[in-house]
Amino acid sequence: MSVINPDQINAERLAGLRRGAVRSPADPTLGDGSLVDDPAQTAPLVLNNRSFHDITEIVAGYSEKAPGFWWFHALGFAATVASIAQIMILYLIITGVGVWGLNNQVDWAWDITNFVFWIGIGHAGTLISAILCLLKQQWRTAVNRAAEAMTIFAVICAGIFPGIHVGRVWFAWMLFPIPNSNVIWPNFRSPLLWDVFAVSTYATVSLLFWYMGMIPDFATFRDRAHLRLRQNKSRLVELRLPVPLPLPTIKLPWRGDLVRAYFFGFLSLGWRMSGRHWYRYEKAYLILAGISTPLVLSVHSIVSFDFATSILPGWHTTIFPPYFVAGAVFGGFAMVLLLMIPLRALLPNFADLLTLRHLENMAKILLVTGTMVGFAYSMEFFIAWYGGNTFEWDAFIYNRVTPSWVSERGAPYWWAYWAMISCNVISPQIFWFKKMRRSPLAIWIVGFFVTIGMWFERFVIIVTSLHRAFLPGEWGMFFPTPVDILTFVGSCGVFLTLFLLFIRFFPIFPISEIKNVIPGASPHDYHDHDHHDAHDADAHHHKGHVEEAH
Amino acid sequence: MSRVDQCPSTVGKKDPKKDRASTVNGNAQKLWRSIDEYAAHDEGEFQSFLSREFPAGASEMLASSRRTFLQLMGGAMALAGAATIPGCRRPDHKIMTYSRNVPGEIVPGKALYYATSMPLPGGGAEGLLVKTNEGRPTFVEGNPLHPVNQGKSSAWSNASPLSIYDPERLKYPVFREGQGDNARQVVATWDDFRAWSASHFAEFDSTSGNGLVFIVDKKTSPTRDAMRAQIAARWPLAQWISYDPTGADNRGAGLRMAFGQPKRQILSLENADVIFSFASDDLDKGASALRNARGFGSARRMRTTNDHMCRVYAVEGNYTPMGAVADHRYALAPSRIPAAIVELARLIIDRVGGAGPLANAVASFDTRGEISPELREMLDAAADDLIGARGKAIVTAGQDLPAEIHALVAGINQVLGAPGKTVSYVPAGAEEARDGLSDLAEMIGTMRAGRVKTCVCVETNPCYDTPTALGFAEAFDRVTNRIVLSIGPSETAAKATWQLNAATFLEAWGDTEADDGTIAPIQPMIAPLYDGALSEIELLALIAEKRTADDYTRQPAGYEVVRSVWQGRFDWSDFEKSWRRALHDGLVAGTTYRGDNGGQASSSVYANISSVLASAAVGVNPSSDALDVVVTTNNMYDGRFANLPWLQELPQFGTTVVWDNPALVSPQTAEKLGLEPDPYTVKEPKAQMAKVTIDGRSVEVPVWIMPGMANNTMVMFQGYGRREVGVIGAGVGFDVQPVRDIMGTRIYTGAKVEPARGRYPISSTQNHWSMESRTSIVRAVDLPAYLRHGDVKEEKIGLYGNKTELNFGEKLGELSHTPPNESIYENPFNKSRSEPAPNSAYSKGPQWGMNVDQGTCIGCATCTIACQSENNIPVVGKTEVRKGREMTWIRVDRYFTGSDMNEPGVMHHQPVMCQHCENAPCETVCPVNATTHGPEGLNYMVYNRCIGTRYCANNCPYKVRRFNFFDYATKKTKGGYRSEFPEGTPKPENINLIPPRLREKVEEIQKLRNNPDVTVRSRGVMEKCSYCIQRINAARYEMKLQDLESMPDGFFQTACQAACPTGAIVFGDLLNDNSEVSKAADDGRSYGLLGYLNTRPRTTYKVTLSNPNPRLRKPVEDPFHHGGDHGSEGEHGAEDSNGHAVFIDPLKKHEDTGYAGSLRVLGAAVGVHA
Repeated sequence: MSVINPDQINAERLAGLRRGAVRSPADPTLGDGSLVDDPAQTAPLVLNNRSFHDITEIVAGYSEKAPGFWWFHALGFAATVASIAQIMILYLIITGVGVWGLNNQVDWAWDITNFVFWIGIGHAGTLISAILCLLKQQWRTAVNRAAEAMTIFAVICAGIFPGIHVGRVWFAWMLFPIPNSNVIWPNFRSPLLWDVFAVSTYATVSLLFWYMGMIPDFATFRDRAHLRLRQNKSRLVELRLPVPLPLPTIKLPWRGDLVRAYFFGFLSLGWRMSGRHWYRYEKAYLILAGISTPLVLSVHSIVSFDFATSILPGWHTTIFPPYFVAGAVFGGFAMVLLLMIPLRALLPNFADLLTLRHLENMAKILLVTGTMVGFAYSMEFFIAWYGGNTFEWDAFIYNRVTPSWVSERGAPYWWAYWAMISCNVISPQIFWFKKMRRSPLAIWIVGFFVTIGMWFERFVIIVTSLHRAFLPGEWGMFFPTPVDILTFVGSCGVFLTLFLLFIRFFPIFPISEIKNVIPGASPHDYHDHDHHDAHDADAHHHKGHVEEAH
Repeated sequence: MSRVDQCPSTVGKKDPKKDRASTVNGNAQKLWRSIDEYAAHDEGEFQSFLSREFPAGASEMLASSRRTFLQLMGGAMALAGAATIPGCRRPDHKIMTYSRNVPGEIVPGKALYYATSMPLPGGGAEGLLVKTNEGRPTFVEGNPLHPVNQGKSSAWSNASPLSIYDPERLKYPVFREGQGDNARQVVATWDDFRAWSASHFAEFDSTSGNGLVFIVDKKTSPTRDAMRAQIAARWPLAQWISYDPTGADNRGAGLRMAFGQPKRQILSLENADVIFSFASDDLDKGASALRNARGFGSARRMRTTNDHMCRVYAVEGNYTPMGAVADHRYALAPSRIPAAIVELARLIIDRVGGAGPLANAVASFDTRGEISPELREMLDAAADDLIGARGKAIVTAGQDLPAEIHALVAGINQVLGAPGKTVSYVPAGAEEARDGLSDLAEMIGTMRAGRVKTCVCVETNPCYDTPTALGFAEAFDRVTNRIVLSIGPSETAAKATWQLNAATFLEAWGDTEADDGTIAPIQPMIAPLYDGALSEIELLALIAEKRTADDYTRQPAGYEVVRSVWQGRFDWSDFEKSWRRALHDGLVAGTTYRGDNGGQASSSVYANISSVLASAAVGVNPSSDALDVVVTTNNMYDGRFANLPWLQELPQFGTTVVWDNPALVSPQTAEKLGLEPDPYTVKEPKAQMAKVTIDGRSVEVPVWIMPGMANNTMVMFQGYGRREVGVIGAGVGFDVQPVRDIMGTRIYTGAKVEPARGRYPISSTQNHWSMESRTSIVRAVDLPAYLRHGDVKEEKIGLYGNKTELNFGEKLGELSHTPPNESIYENPFNKSRSEPAPNSAYSKGPQWGMNVDQGTCIGCATCTIACQSENNIPVVGKTEVRKGREMTWIRVDRYFTGSDMNEPGVMHHQPVMCQHCENAPCETVCPVNATTHGPEGLNYMVYNRCIGTRYCANNCPYKVRRFNFFDYATKKTKGGYRSEFPEGTPKPENINLIPPRLREKVEEIQKLRNNPDVTVRSRGVMEKCSYCIQRINAARYEMKLQDLESMPDGFFQTACQAACPTGAIVFGDLLNDNSEVSKAADDGRSYGLLGYLNTRPRTTYKVTLSNPNPRLRKPVEDPFHHGGDHGSEGEHGAEDSNGHAVFIDPLKKHEDTGYAGSLRVLGAAVGVHA
């Protein structure tokens, strides 16, 4: 009986001798990672009985290997789209805000829609990282790193829009409380100013939190690179063509591991895996989680104040802060799923770390938050009716719900409202079915719809409220221009570019944290019968593979 | 600017855009500065001058000594200084400043006002005060002493300063050398023309002027009459045609029929108790429009419940300003209106008697078609009403109606005892009474036959503005010498052999006669911007005067001409003193006619009328196969104002369409004919093109709907579709001349309208017709309700147990149903006006406020233009308006009441400008403190601080904030629109593919128009009404200079207030109990628009009043309690069957002052969602 070395298999996989993730047959006791109905059992967070070394190899190995062609193509596409955004922004700044379809009735439209959309996307990251951390939800480890990264990138995208939507971009610095001899300060009563503070605080804390979590993993990357250099196993950097052509690859005269060692050495801030470091790290991480948690609630509450503190029917709604937070979590999770499900299929062995249990958990969150926003939508109608304010009632009933072909007073933007309702409220309801919660494809599709629906939610709030406000004499319409559309599409490109760079170079999973949740981390590991059984099963399984390989 | 290429390499290559002369006939070969130059174009000193870069002598500088250098530099600097002194363009002759207190010298930065007058198209005049800044006329106000204006002004006069600074106006005479295709344009000088004309016109002396034709504008001016007399004296056979392109003066002709001699009708609407308007255009058109609007405002205004309000009946085809506010209005096709007038005459004469032969004539008149029972009932009730108000009643008919009908109307007014009370008749000039278009038609044969040798068009444009059927343009080509004096390029000037640049009325001397005979001087505010430009009278004087070969360049100065005419006309003991007095006052005292009955006994008038009445025609009921078409005018008049962008972008009455003249039909007719336009909810709302055919003449125009028009009636507007006018006006709209008959008839019957190929985009500033049951916006009640409840204040217990008082106006709105808005913060403006918080800013100094009486607003939008002029508000062009980016600070919202678009109840007008809220929603949301509150209650807009987040505009419930999406202020406006016409459609394009951001900068000359006291806003900045803060500040300085304790009421006016013809806008200090505005704000009718939002607006509105005849509609006396059954009232919303705003609140009956119940803001909501 040959000794099966899982590392060997991993190494083969990483070396490209085996392609893709290996699907394990369902474990009779542990299952495929999906949730079990038996409360006595918990589904494993990492499948296939990965060892500590496996985890390191899977996460770090991916970053160290040359990427697949798909990555180059995706990056090329995303970067092209991102450059469109830059061209559009330049055009906007040179010519004026009038290149968008805004007017004197609808003074905000896609600009602020996109801003709130992206800020909302940025919510899941901190929620998963901070709140789930405080609540000791260990399943968060599978997605928290990617979600945090997504947060940073989404906040970057969000930050673009308020910055460029102002009429005189070159005076945007006036938003900041800069001491000056004229003693002119910003208006601290303005929610837009609160936004400036809220978003910048959120961005700063999220960035710190993300970076903080990555320090041990950076150290791992550093050490691996250093080890290879010492063992002289390091290869020269090869420039690969993005297409599989039979051309000789160009080798650059330096070793990638040298760059890696310095780069991650710098980023890891001298992390030496010492007990004292870990002690301080855990404390600091907890404190940051504590700081971030209220931010999850505050940022989107404050963004909602942009609308709620106004007097415009459709904006002036006290339900907005919780409604916006729920919506942001909803939209953020949808975006996490939208990105992670394809990664799970594309990157080798990632399915072991991001299991059906994770997907199922997140599908449940989608269902809960989707229903919450659905409740919020219905409450708006209740309050409009209960408040007895015609202007508010009209804003909801006529300007949003009633199609223009049903009633003469119906709104031209009814389709936007119904797109929002079907995507946000109706589509997540399929997660009442277990089968749907376990289908990555179904989850991905719903995530896609929810992302669209959440964009429409902001569009509906902003544009339908503005286009028909108090005085019918000033009612108007908003139509997006190509510049509107391309700026938004371009911002998606910026997001995607940053995310692709992230999955290529940074630890997508928190190596150190996952190691905490694998069975091997348990002090009782070797006395656990179940585990031995599982080990045996694994052994059989590996054997089968080895035989297969022969 | 030199128009001759100085660089030899580019000689002969001219940029067609840069030089008008070369584009006139597309011949861009050689241009010559003068005949001399042309003669010497091959050799000579001149050529060497042109090829040199510097003039002769310039190079001598090189060899100069230091001393010479200093001399030259000193001289140059002195000259430069002199040249930059603004006075260098001041007129040559002394003119009197309006205010004697102002020293004669110019104080830099301080504007001077001069009185002058503006001749109105078609006759009549306005007396103006023109504001000049350092010699530049920048703003126009009405002359308070002038009987027509009395301080008010019209949209035309407000826009007139633009015409001076139009960069495309003609700048020098151009001579056309040769004929036909070989013709070439020669840039000439006025001396060339003088030399040419001296010998040319002398040729006519032998033939007594045979073959010499003068085509002039219809105008009332004593000096021009004198010029005419001079010409007639020199050449008795010369033809003098004075015409009004918009058609014959039907009213004048009718009055001539009635009185046997030319008369003008002067209405005194302020004395009227009952007015019956038959498509009356008295408030918006004609020489008396301002006077009538003022009188009408006065007759309708209710300052207190003790005032009296007149009642207005209207029968009309399309909405007129008077019909829009009428208490009873009936939409009737224009061809049927004469029958209605006859019917009314019959009813009145039957009851009053004593009309002699008129009674028989009226009785025998065949109305040929029954009058609907509804209309008969209205006429019947109105007849009694008119008779009951004898001596205070007036019937008035629109200029469009036939002359015989105007004669009949004069007869009805005689019967009603109106002459001398509500109407008076003053003598009219002989020339005025002639129908110039028929004179033209007579002369056209002579022209075609080539028997006209010289035709002088003096500020007229017959090649464009006469009916195409007349064939003037072709006939004009047969004239050998075509001399055209024109301010701007025109279709006629383009054909001229001598194209002469004219001076505007702000640059020249002259005089005018107003509708009531008042003679006013025209004084130049500035010397003609382009040297040598002559005014009309200067050109006529030049032509009329015999000049010898020695002094052929002698130019009679306008100043001398006017003076000599006046010396002959007025018998003044001290001419100089009286002359100066007239210049100072802007009018000649004692020239105003006393109104009379035409100097005739009523009986002879009746006899005259009855004899002409038989020939009056009454059409048959129009159908969808044979429509009535009215060809009339709007702000463009005959097209002469086409290059003034303010007027192009001024929302048109009723439709708010800008930059176009779609033909208007009622929604029902549009549906029937398949001509419905797109709704505004599509991206580019387009109108369906239609082919309108009248007697074989046809034209294609877009069709737009106008609720409340009579069915099967179409209204078309002249003055659009100009071809040669400049980038602003060229190609804007559609030329309707092809459908007019040679007489220029205004009302046609039997027109055929069918859909044509293509759809054409239309821009309008207000897309929504209805108030959407939000009747608290424009609150309207019947007069008895106001008389009964107007002074009652209701005490109300608020949410926090405090007591508040609601006046009549507020009780009609949301505030009576919501708890009072109490701020939890100590706010200086927290307490009411009568009880300002102690020591707060609100208790001190002037606290500015405004009040708008919606009952007297006639929707003329003059305020919009006055504001635009005062505050340097840019126009944005048609495309931008379509996107909803118009920049006007004050807009006039128009709402129709009722539920049926075809039969709307009333048209309401609501001027909306910044309300200067005490709790301004815009102020709290601006992140950079760019909009803040001032101690005098003004909501400031700090342009320097604004970064353009536009949050303020989003949070403004009145939507009065305007954002500079592009650099509008400094970019040229291209008025047109991307034309999406099928190939081959003869729509001339004025392409506006160029968005404002890529347009050319405005020319320097246009910047001279700007008001120097107001910042020109850059791109990315929010702007809005400032209550004319520059005027407030100027008044404050003046107050200090005059050592006044406080600002007297009426010390200054805002631009909109000053312009408003009906006096609907009042502005002043709210803390001053005696000020007009505080009295107005204290009136029971005043309410804050959307006041329930606790914005505490400083601008208040007065509830619109309607004064229905109880026989026709029972007035609602109790607007608060509507019968007993509240439940059913909820069903039909907040408008009663008459379309009047009525507040209905089913919860109100419980007298519930509690929270939940009273939070129901608008009863209308019940009707909506029940």
